[in-house]
Amino acid sequence: MPRRLLGVFLNPYAQLAVGSILVTVSELLMKKGASDLSAGSVGWLGVGALRSWWTWAGIVTYVLSFISWVYVLRYVPLGIAFALISVVHVLIPLGARIFLHEQISPRRWAGIALVVCGLLLVLRPAVKAEEKL
Amino acid sequence: MKPLTLAGILLCTLCQALMVGGQLLLKRSIATGEGRPARRGTIRNFIAGIACLTLWFFIWLGLLSQWDISKLYPFEGLNPAIMAIAAWLLLKEKMPVSAWFGLVLVCVGIAIVAGS
Repeated sequence: MPRRLLGVFLNPYAQLAVGSILVTVSELLMKKGASDLSAGSVGWLGVGALRSWWTWAGIVTYVLSFISWVYVLRYVPLGIAFALISVVHVLIPLGARIFLHEQISPRRWAGIALVVCGLLLVLRPAVKAEEKL
Repeated sequence: MKPLTLAGILLCTLCQALMVGGQLLLKRSIATGEGRPARRGTIRNFIAGIACLTLWFFIWLGLLSQWDISKLYPFEGLNPAIMAIAAWLLLKEKMPVSAWFGLVLVCVGIAIVAGS
């Protein structure tokens, strides 16, 4: 990988983006795994879902996202990093709509739009600080 | 899909506590610069953090099997606010005022999503 590309890849904020996509994919896979069996048989402690390969694919993706998250946490303040990872509240409903065909009401769209505005506000000072480096 | 029951709400709250505690422990263990604990404490914090998040994971999986993902996720949505306050109080992290304002927008947005 060329050095500059590696530099972009290793940027904590770029990793935050990579991580949130991985979390989204992982949650969708786990939802598919958990509902693979008839509801109820999985139990409140969802161990039964481990019988599905979807769940395992979700776990692998989740572990990858976790490695990325630990890297982010090393450089970005926890409060900021966790606020920014809220982008999954936008990505997961969108993913659930596209891939699992769950419905999004107009009210929910409005909520998603507010989350996006909030994220931009949190991100702004972080980007400014990054530019100074 | 059925609406959330009291047991479901309690489990969601437990999930939140595990998530916040786990992240604080992790951050403390791997943070660079001042306030970095001694090595033994580092490893202990890291393992304790992972233990919290592992428990969180299995309870979350159980919740996912019972309810729609879009019904559960908003609960986790209060986490950014709890996390920022905890990081401010316990890790002495500072956030600009505009970022706090952004955080409020995120939480209100998620609350609207939760109510819909």
